[in-house]
Amino acid sequence: MRGFFLFLLVGIFFALVQSGVLPLFLTPNWRPNLILILILYLGLSENLVRALVAGLLLGAIQDSFCGPSLGLYISVYLIIILVTRLLSDQLNIESPPLLLLLIAGGTLLQNFLIGFYLTVFAEAAPVLHTLLPAIPQQLLTNMVTALLLLIFLLRFQKLFGYRSGLAGLIYQSKHHGT
Amino acid sequence: MRELLRRYRFLLLAVILVLGTVVLYSYNLRQKTATTFFERAVLTFASPFLSTLDNAVDVTTAVWGNYLWLVDTRQRNIKLENENQQLRAQLQQVQEITLQNKRLRDLLNFVDELDRAALPAQVIGEDASNWARTIVIDKGSQDGLSSGLPVVAAQGVVGRIIKIAPNSSRVLLITDASSAIAALIQRTRTRGVVRGRGDDLSIEYALRTADIQVGDLLVTSGMGGVFPKGLPLGTIDAVKKDQFGLFQQVNATPTIDFSHLEEVMVIVGEDDQ
Repeated sequence: MRGFFLFLLVGIFFALVQSGVLPLFLTPNWRPNLILILILYLGLSENLVRALVAGLLLGAIQDSFCGPSLGLYISVYLIIILVTRLLSDQLNIESPPLLLLLIAGGTLLQNFLIGFYLTVFAEAAPVLHTLLPAIPQQLLTNMVTALLLLIFLLRFQKLFGYRSGLAGLIYQSKHHGT
Repeated sequence: MRELLRRYRFLLLAVILVLGTVVLYSYNLRQKTATTFFERAVLTFASPFLSTLDNAVDVTTAVWGNYLWLVDTRQRNIKLENENQQLRAQLQQVQEITLQNKRLRDLLNFVDELDRAALPAQVIGEDASNWARTIVIDKGSQDGLSSGLPVVAAQGVVGRIIKIAPNSSRVLLITDASSAIAALIQRTRTRGVVRGRGDDLSIEYALRTADIQVGDLLVTSGMGGVFPKGLPLGTIDAVKKDQFGLFQQVNATPTIDFSHLEEVMVIVGEDDQ
Protein backbone atom coordinates (compact mmCIF):
# COMPACT_ATOMS: atom_id res chain seq x y z
CA MET A 1 0.00 0.00 0.00
CA ARG A 2 2.89 2.29 0.84
CA GLY A 3 4.36 1.68 -2.61
CA PHE A 4 1.01 2.45 -4.18
CA PHE A 5 0.84 5.89 -2.58
CA LEU A 6 4.49 6.45 -3.44
CA PHE A 7 3.63 5.89 -7.11
CA LEU A 8 0.82 8.45 -6.88
CA LEU A 9 3.01 11.01 -5.14
CA VAL A 10 5.76 10.54 -7.72
CA GLY A 11 3.10 10.82 -10.46
CA ILE A 12 1.86 14.14 -9.10
CA PHE A 13 5.44 15.36 -8.78
CA PHE A 14 6.17 14.33 -12.37
CA ALA A 15 2.99 16.08 -13.60
CA LEU A 16 4.01 19.28 -11.82
CA VAL A 17 7.50 19.07 -13.30
CA GLN A 18 6.08 18.50 -16.79
CA SER A 19 3.67 21.40 -16.44
CA GLY A 20 5.70 23.93 -14.51
CA VAL A 21 9.42 23.25 -14.89
CA LEU A 22 10.17 21.53 -18.20
CA PRO A 23 8.34 24.17 -20.31
CA LEU A 24 10.86 26.72 -19.04
CA PHE A 25 13.73 24.85 -20.67
CA LEU A 26 12.37 22.59 -23.40
CA THR A 27 10.10 22.99 -26.40
CA PRO A 28 6.98 20.73 -26.33
CA ASN A 29 8.45 18.05 -28.61
CA TRP A 30 11.57 17.65 -26.49
CA ARG A 31 9.78 17.32 -23.16
CA PRO A 32 9.92 13.75 -21.86
CA ASN A 33 6.69 12.13 -20.69
CA LEU A 34 7.77 11.23 -17.18
CA ILE A 35 4.38 9.79 -16.24
CA LEU A 36 4.51 7.38 -19.18
CA ILE A 37 7.86 6.08 -17.91
CA LEU A 38 6.30 5.66 -14.47
CA ILE A 39 3.32 3.84 -15.97
CA LEU A 40 5.59 1.41 -17.82
CA TYR A 41 7.56 0.71 -14.65
CA LEU A 42 4.27 0.27 -12.82
CA GLY A 43 3.15 -2.27 -15.40
CA LEU A 44 6.36 -4.22 -14.89
CA SER A 45 6.64 -4.15 -11.14
CA GLU A 46 3.24 -4.08 -9.42
CA ASN A 47 0.56 -6.77 -9.36
CA LEU A 48 -2.08 -6.30 -12.01
CA VAL A 49 -4.92 -4.92 -9.87
CA ARG A 50 -2.73 -2.42 -8.08
CA ALA A 51 -1.06 -1.41 -11.34
CA LEU A 52 -4.43 -0.84 -13.00
CA VAL A 53 -5.82 1.27 -10.14
CA ALA A 54 -2.62 3.33 -9.95
CA GLY A 55 -2.61 3.64 -13.75
CA LEU A 56 -6.17 4.97 -13.77
CA LEU A 57 -5.34 7.55 -11.10
CA LEU A 58 -2.12 8.59 -12.84
CA GLY A 59 -4.06 8.90 -16.09
CA ALA A 60 -6.56 11.16 -14.36
CA ILE A 61 -3.71 13.23 -12.94
CA GLN A 62 -2.16 13.64 -16.39
CA ASP A 63 -5.57 14.46 -17.88
CA SER A 64 -5.90 17.21 -15.28
CA PHE A 65 -2.60 18.70 -16.35
CA CYS A 66 -3.09 18.62 -20.08
CA GLY A 67 -5.56 18.78 -22.91
CA PRO A 68 -9.18 19.77 -22.84
CA SER A 69 -10.91 16.61 -21.61
CA LEU A 70 -10.66 14.10 -18.77
CA GLY A 71 -10.49 10.45 -19.75
CA LEU A 72 -8.03 10.38 -22.64
CA TYR A 73 -4.95 9.47 -20.66
CA ILE A 74 -6.96 7.25 -18.27
CA SER A 75 -7.88 5.06 -21.21
CA VAL A 76 -4.47 5.27 -22.90
CA TYR A 77 -2.57 4.32 -19.75
CA LEU A 78 -4.96 1.49 -19.00
CA ILE A 79 -4.21 -0.04 -22.39
CA ILE A 80 -0.46 0.56 -21.98
CA ILE A 81 -0.42 -1.20 -18.60
CA LEU A 82 -2.32 -4.17 -19.97
CA VAL A 83 -0.02 -4.50 -22.98
CA THR A 84 3.06 -4.09 -20.78
CA ARG A 85 1.82 -6.83 -18.44
CA LEU A 86 1.13 -9.07 -21.41
CA LEU A 87 4.66 -8.55 -22.73
CA SER A 88 6.43 -8.71 -19.40
CA ASP A 89 5.32 -12.30 -18.93
CA GLN A 90 6.89 -13.25 -22.27
CA LEU A 91 10.13 -11.23 -22.24
CA ASN A 92 13.21 -10.90 -20.11
CA ILE A 93 12.48 -7.42 -18.86
CA GLU A 94 15.67 -7.36 -16.78
CA SER A 95 17.68 -6.71 -19.94
CA PRO A 96 18.47 -2.96 -20.12
CA PRO A 97 18.24 -2.75 -23.94
CA LEU A 98 14.88 -4.46 -23.76
CA LEU A 99 13.72 -1.99 -21.14
CA LEU A 100 14.62 0.84 -23.48
CA LEU A 101 12.79 -0.90 -26.29
CA LEU A 102 9.80 -1.15 -24.00
CA ILE A 103 9.96 2.62 -23.42
CA ALA A 104 10.15 3.15 -27.19
CA GLY A 105 7.21 0.81 -27.73
CA GLY A 106 5.24 2.54 -25.00
CA THR A 107 5.90 5.94 -26.56
CA LEU A 108 4.77 4.75 -29.99
CA LEU A 109 1.69 3.07 -28.56
CA GLN A 110 0.77 6.18 -26.58
CA ASN A 111 1.09 8.41 -29.64
CA PHE A 112 -0.94 5.99 -31.74
CA LEU A 113 -3.70 5.77 -29.13
CA ILE A 114 -3.85 9.55 -28.57
CA GLY A 115 -3.97 10.15 -32.32
CA PHE A 116 -6.67 7.52 -32.70
CA TYR A 117 -8.83 8.82 -29.86
CA LEU A 118 -8.53 12.47 -30.90
CA THR A 119 -9.19 11.76 -34.55
CA VAL A 120 -12.07 9.37 -34.08
CA PHE A 121 -13.79 10.64 -30.95
CA ALA A 122 -12.82 14.31 -30.62
CA GLU A 123 -12.74 15.18 -34.33
CA ALA A 124 -9.42 16.86 -33.76
CA ALA A 125 -7.65 15.37 -36.74
CA PRO A 126 -5.26 18.36 -37.06
CA VAL A 127 -3.59 17.01 -33.93
CA LEU A 128 -1.79 14.57 -36.24
CA HIS A 129 0.14 17.56 -37.58
CA THR A 130 1.50 17.95 -34.07
CA LEU A 131 1.82 14.32 -33.05
CA LEU A 132 3.49 12.69 -36.05
CA PRO A 133 6.48 15.04 -36.55
CA ALA A 134 7.18 14.92 -32.82
CA ILE A 135 7.50 11.13 -32.58
CA PRO A 136 11.27 10.85 -33.26
CA GLN A 137 12.04 13.55 -30.71
CA GLN A 138 9.65 11.98 -28.20
CA LEU A 139 11.25 8.56 -28.69
CA LEU A 140 14.72 9.94 -28.13
CA THR A 141 13.86 12.11 -25.15
CA ASN A 142 11.79 9.43 -23.41
CA MET A 143 14.49 6.78 -23.87
CA VAL A 144 17.27 9.06 -22.65
CA THR A 145 15.19 10.17 -19.66
CA ALA A 146 14.24 6.58 -18.80
CA LEU A 147 17.89 5.55 -19.00
CA LEU A 148 18.94 8.39 -16.71
CA LEU A 149 16.16 7.62 -14.24
CA LEU A 150 17.11 3.92 -14.23
CA ILE A 151 20.78 4.70 -13.63
CA PHE A 152 19.85 7.16 -10.90
CA LEU A 153 17.50 4.70 -9.17
CA LEU A 154 19.91 1.77 -9.33
CA ARG A 155 22.85 3.82 -8.10
CA PHE A 156 21.00 5.41 -5.22
CA GLN A 157 18.56 2.65 -4.33
CA LYS A 158 20.17 2.18 -0.92
CA LEU A 159 19.33 5.76 -0.03
CA PHE A 160 15.67 5.11 -0.78
CA GLY A 161 15.60 2.07 1.48
CA TYR A 162 15.07 -0.65 -1.12
CA ARG A 163 16.49 -3.61 0.76
CA SER A 164 15.51 -6.33 -1.67
CA GLY A 165 16.10 -4.31 -4.83
CA LEU A 166 13.79 -2.42 -7.13
CA ALA A 167 10.51 -4.16 -7.76
CA GLY A 168 10.50 -5.78 -11.18
CA LEU A 169 14.23 -5.30 -11.57
CA ILE A 170 15.57 -7.71 -8.97
CA TYR A 171 18.56 -8.93 -10.95
CA GLN A 172 19.73 -5.45 -11.88
CA SER A 173 19.21 -4.23 -8.33
CA LYS A 174 21.42 -7.02 -7.00
CA HIS A 175 23.94 -6.34 -9.73
CA HIS A 176 24.20 -2.77 -8.40
CA GLY A 177 24.76 -3.81 -4.81
CA THR A 178 21.43 -4.26 -3.09
CA MET B 1 82.84 106.69 27.58
CA ARG B 2 84.76 103.60 26.60
CA GLU B 3 84.42 102.41 30.15
CA LEU B 4 80.68 103.02 30.00
CA LEU B 5 80.32 101.09 26.73
CA ARG B 6 82.33 98.20 28.10
CA ARG B 7 80.24 98.18 31.21
CA TYR B 8 76.87 98.11 29.43
CA ARG B 9 77.90 96.38 26.19
CA PHE B 10 75.70 93.42 26.67
CA LEU B 11 72.70 95.58 27.40
CA LEU B 12 73.41 97.75 24.43
CA LEU B 13 73.87 94.78 22.11
CA ALA B 14 70.59 93.38 23.30
CA VAL B 15 68.74 96.63 22.72
CA ILE B 16 70.27 97.03 19.26
CA LEU B 17 69.33 93.50 18.29
CA VAL B 18 65.80 93.87 19.57
CA LEU B 19 65.42 97.17 17.77
CA GLY B 20 66.91 95.68 14.60
CA THR B 21 64.47 92.83 14.63
CA VAL B 22 61.61 95.19 15.31
CA VAL B 23 62.69 97.34 12.39
CA LEU B 24 63.04 94.28 10.21
CA TYR B 25 59.63 93.08 11.23
CA SER B 26 58.14 96.52 10.65
CA TYR B 27 59.71 96.65 7.24
CA ASN B 28 58.48 93.21 6.28
CA LEU B 29 55.01 94.01 7.43
CA ARG B 30 54.86 96.40 4.52
CA GLN B 31 56.30 93.87 2.07
CA LYS B 32 53.90 91.00 2.63
CA THR B 33 53.99 89.56 -0.86
CA ALA B 34 57.69 89.97 -1.48
CA THR B 35 59.94 87.00 -0.85
CA THR B 36 63.23 87.85 0.68
CA PHE B 37 66.44 86.29 -0.37
CA PHE B 38 66.61 84.43 2.86
CA GLU B 39 63.19 83.07 2.61
CA ARG B 40 63.83 82.01 -0.95
CA ALA B 41 67.07 80.31 0.03
CA VAL B 42 65.46 78.43 2.86
CA LEU B 43 62.61 77.31 0.76
CA THR B 44 64.91 76.22 -2.02
CA PHE B 45 67.07 74.30 0.34
CA ALA B 46 64.21 72.69 2.25
CA SER B 47 62.12 71.76 -0.73
CA PRO B 48 63.79 68.44 -1.70
CA PHE B 49 63.88 67.34 1.89
CA LEU B 50 60.26 68.17 2.45
CA SER B 51 59.34 66.43 -0.73
CA THR B 52 61.29 63.31 0.17
CA LEU B 53 59.88 63.31 3.66
CA ASP B 54 56.37 63.72 2.36
CA ASN B 55 56.79 60.85 -0.05
CA ALA B 56 58.21 58.67 2.66
CA VAL B 57 55.27 59.44 4.91
CA ASP B 58 52.89 58.69 2.08
CA VAL B 59 54.59 55.40 1.30
CA THR B 60 54.68 54.42 4.95
CA THR B 61 51.04 55.31 5.43
CA ALA B 62 50.12 53.41 2.30
CA VAL B 63 52.13 50.34 3.28
CA TRP B 64 50.67 50.44 6.75
CA GLY B 65 47.16 51.02 5.61
CA ASN B 66 47.14 48.70 2.60
CA TYR B 67 49.37 45.82 3.67
CA LEU B 68 49.93 45.83 7.41
CA TRP B 69 46.88 47.27 9.20
CA LEU B 70 44.19 45.14 7.50
CA VAL B 71 41.98 44.34 10.46
CA ASP B 72 38.76 45.68 8.86
CA THR B 73 39.56 45.08 5.24
CA ARG B 74 38.23 41.51 4.94
CA GLN B 75 35.02 42.40 6.73
CA ARG B 76 34.61 45.49 4.57
CA ASN B 77 35.31 43.46 1.47
CA ILE B 78 32.65 40.90 2.41
CA LYS B 79 30.21 43.68 3.27
CA LEU B 80 30.86 45.47 -0.03
CA GLU B 81 30.53 42.24 -2.00
CA ASN B 82 27.20 41.56 -0.31
CA GLU B 83 26.07 45.10 -1.03
CA ASN B 84 27.21 44.69 -4.62
CA GLN B 85 25.24 41.47 -5.02
CA GLN B 86 22.15 43.04 -3.47
CA LEU B 87 22.43 46.04 -5.75
CA ARG B 88 22.86 43.80 -8.79
CA ALA B 89 19.79 41.79 -7.78
CA GLN B 90 17.82 45.00 -7.26
CA LEU B 91 18.97 46.28 -10.64
CA GLN B 92 17.84 43.06 -12.32
CA GLN B 93 14.50 43.31 -10.52
CA VAL B 94 14.10 46.88 -11.70
CA GLN B 95 14.91 45.85 -15.27
CA GLU B 96 12.43 42.96 -15.01
CA ILE B 97 9.75 45.26 -13.59
CA THR B 98 10.43 47.79 -16.34
CA LEU B 99 9.91 45.13 -19.00
CA GLN B 100 6.81 43.82 -17.23
CA ASN B 101 5.51 47.36 -16.95
CA LYS B 102 5.89 47.84 -20.70
CA ARG B 103 4.13 44.55 -21.45
CA LEU B 104 1.27 45.43 -19.08
CA ARG B 105 0.93 48.90 -20.61
CA ASP B 106 0.67 47.34 -24.07
CA LEU B 107 -1.88 44.89 -22.70
CA LEU B 108 -3.93 47.65 -21.06
CA ASN B 109 -3.85 49.77 -24.21
CA PHE B 110 -5.06 46.77 -26.17
CA VAL B 111 -7.91 46.08 -23.72
CA ASP B 112 -8.84 49.78 -23.53
CA GLU B 113 -9.58 49.65 -27.24
CA LEU B 114 -12.03 46.80 -26.63
CA ASP B 115 -14.23 48.82 -24.26
CA ARG B 116 -14.86 45.71 -22.17
CA ALA B 117 -13.91 44.85 -18.61
CA ALA B 118 -10.86 42.61 -18.38
CA LEU B 119 -8.95 40.86 -15.64
CA PRO B 120 -5.15 40.55 -15.81
CA ALA B 121 -3.63 37.14 -15.12
CA GLN B 122 -0.22 35.54 -15.03
CA VAL B 123 0.69 32.38 -16.94
CA ILE B 124 1.82 29.84 -14.32
CA GLY B 125 1.99 26.57 -16.24
CA GLU B 126 1.85 24.88 -19.60
CA ASP B 127 0.38 21.67 -20.91
CA ALA B 128 1.96 18.47 -19.61
CA SER B 129 1.76 16.80 -23.01
CA ASN B 130 3.50 17.57 -26.28
CA TRP B 131 0.40 17.49 -28.48
CA ALA B 132 -2.12 19.67 -26.63
CA ARG B 133 -1.68 23.43 -26.44
CA THR B 134 -3.04 24.77 -23.16
CA ILE B 135 -1.74 27.08 -20.47
CA VAL B 136 -2.64 27.58 -16.81
CA ILE B 137 -3.32 31.09 -15.47
CA ASP B 138 -3.39 32.22 -11.85
CA LYS B 139 -7.01 33.44 -11.75
CA GLY B 140 -10.07 31.27 -11.24
CA SER B 141 -13.68 31.17 -10.15
CA GLN B 142 -12.88 33.13 -6.96
CA ASP B 143 -11.86 36.01 -9.20
CA GLY B 144 -15.11 35.85 -11.11
CA LEU B 145 -13.92 33.81 -14.07
CA SER B 146 -15.92 31.06 -15.73
CA SER B 147 -15.49 28.56 -18.55
CA GLY B 148 -15.69 29.95 -22.07
CA LEU B 149 -14.33 33.42 -21.34
CA PRO B 150 -11.95 34.74 -24.01
CA VAL B 151 -8.31 35.37 -23.14
CA VAL B 152 -6.21 37.92 -25.02
CA ALA B 153 -2.73 39.41 -24.97
CA ALA B 154 -1.38 42.67 -26.37
CA GLN B 155 -0.68 41.07 -29.76
CA GLY B 156 -4.03 39.35 -30.18
CA VAL B 157 -6.16 36.37 -29.19
CA VAL B 158 -4.67 33.77 -26.81
CA GLY B 159 -7.61 31.36 -26.45
CA ARG B 160 -10.51 30.66 -24.14
CA ILE B 161 -10.93 29.21 -20.68
CA ILE B 162 -11.90 25.53 -20.71
CA LYS B 163 -11.34 24.42 -17.11
CA ILE B 164 -11.90 26.45 -14.02
CA ALA B 165 -10.68 26.01 -10.43
CA PRO B 166 -11.02 28.43 -7.48
CA ASN B 167 -7.56 29.94 -7.98
CA SER B 168 -6.50 28.88 -11.46
CA SER B 169 -7.86 28.20 -14.92
CA ARG B 170 -6.79 26.23 -17.97
CA VAL B 171 -6.86 28.10 -21.26
CA LEU B 172 -7.16 26.34 -24.61
CA LEU B 173 -4.81 28.14 -26.99
CA ILE B 174 -5.89 28.96 -30.52
CA THR B 175 -3.06 26.72 -31.77
CA ASP B 176 -4.57 23.61 -30.16
CA ALA B 177 -5.94 21.10 -32.66
CA SER B 178 -9.36 21.14 -31.00
CA SER B 179 -9.67 24.94 -31.18
CA ALA B 180 -11.88 26.46 -33.86
CA ILE B 181 -12.66 30.19 -34.17
CA ALA B 182 -14.76 32.05 -36.70
CA ALA B 183 -12.47 34.49 -38.47
CA LEU B 184 -12.18 36.78 -41.45
CA ILE B 185 -9.42 38.24 -43.55
CA GLN B 186 -9.19 41.88 -42.52
CA ARG B 187 -8.45 43.23 -46.01
CA THR B 188 -11.10 41.40 -48.02
CA ARG B 189 -13.54 40.36 -45.24
CA THR B 190 -13.35 36.75 -46.48
CA ARG B 191 -14.78 34.40 -43.87
CA GLY B 192 -13.36 31.13 -42.61
CA VAL B 193 -12.78 28.99 -39.56
CA VAL B 194 -9.35 29.11 -37.92
CA ARG B 195 -8.12 25.82 -36.51
CA GLY B 196 -4.96 25.15 -34.52
CA ARG B 197 -2.20 22.96 -35.90
CA GLY B 198 0.13 22.85 -32.90
CA ASP B 199 2.46 25.70 -33.79
CA ASP B 200 0.49 27.47 -36.52
CA LEU B 201 -3.06 27.90 -37.80
CA SER B 202 -5.05 26.69 -40.78
CA ILE B 203 -8.06 28.47 -42.25
CA GLU B 204 -10.85 26.14 -43.24
CA TYR B 205 -13.82 26.84 -45.47
CA ALA B 206 -12.13 29.75 -47.24
CA LEU B 207 -13.74 29.72 -50.69
CA ARG B 208 -11.44 28.98 -53.60
CA THR B 209 -12.50 32.17 -55.36
CA ALA B 210 -11.78 34.37 -52.34
CA ASP B 211 -8.92 36.86 -52.57
CA ILE B 212 -6.39 35.84 -49.89
CA GLN B 213 -2.74 36.84 -50.07
CA VAL B 214 0.34 36.12 -48.02
CA GLY B 215 0.73 38.81 -45.35
CA ASP B 216 -3.01 39.43 -44.90
CA LEU B 217 -4.10 39.88 -41.30
CA LEU B 218 -6.56 37.38 -39.89
CA VAL B 219 -8.99 38.72 -37.26
CA THR B 220 -11.90 37.35 -35.25
CA SER B 221 -15.25 37.73 -36.97
CA GLY B 222 -17.28 38.06 -33.77
CA MET B 223 -19.53 35.17 -34.84
CA GLY B 224 -20.23 32.70 -32.07
CA GLY B 225 -20.21 35.34 -29.39
CA VAL B 226 -17.05 34.20 -27.60
CA PHE B 227 -14.48 36.61 -29.01
CA PRO B 228 -15.10 40.29 -29.72
CA LYS B 229 -14.91 41.24 -33.38
CA GLY B 230 -11.66 42.39 -34.94
CA LEU B 231 -9.06 40.87 -32.62
CA PRO B 232 -5.85 39.80 -34.42
CA LEU B 233 -5.37 36.04 -34.76
CA GLY B 234 -2.51 35.63 -37.18
CA THR B 235 -0.85 36.56 -40.44
CA ILE B 236 -1.34 34.52 -43.61
CA ASP B 237 1.91 32.80 -44.56
CA ALA B 238 0.83 30.28 -47.23
CA VAL B 239 -2.00 30.04 -49.74
CA LYS B 240 -2.52 27.01 -51.95
CA LYS B 241 -5.27 26.59 -54.52
CA ASP B 242 -5.84 23.16 -56.04
CA GLN B 243 -7.28 22.81 -59.53
CA PHE B 244 -10.46 21.38 -58.14
CA GLY B 245 -12.40 21.72 -54.90
CA LEU B 246 -14.53 24.33 -53.23
CA PHE B 247 -11.97 25.67 -50.79
CA GLN B 248 -8.35 26.80 -50.80
CA GLN B 249 -5.70 25.73 -48.30
CA VAL B 250 -4.56 28.64 -46.20
CA ASN B 251 -2.04 28.63 -43.34
CA ALA B 252 -1.32 31.42 -40.89
CA THR B 253 1.22 32.25 -38.21
CA PRO B 254 -0.26 33.36 -34.87
CA THR B 255 0.38 36.98 -33.95
CA ILE B 256 1.34 35.82 -30.46
CA ASP B 257 4.56 34.00 -29.61
CA PHE B 258 3.09 31.49 -27.18
CA SER B 259 6.48 30.31 -25.97
CA HIS B 260 7.09 33.74 -24.42
CA LEU B 261 3.62 34.43 -23.06
CA GLU B 262 3.71 35.70 -19.46
CA GLU B 263 0.72 38.00 -18.87
CA VAL B 264 -2.75 37.79 -20.37
CA MET B 265 -6.12 39.49 -19.99
CA VAL B 266 -9.34 37.61 -19.48
CA ILE B 267 -12.26 39.52 -20.99
CA VAL B 268 -15.03 39.31 -18.41
CA GLY B 269 -17.36 42.15 -19.43
CA GLU B 270 -20.14 42.11 -21.99
CA ASP B 271 -19.80 43.87 -25.31
CA ASP B 272 -20.95 47.50 -24.92
CA GLN B 273 -21.54 47.97 -28.63
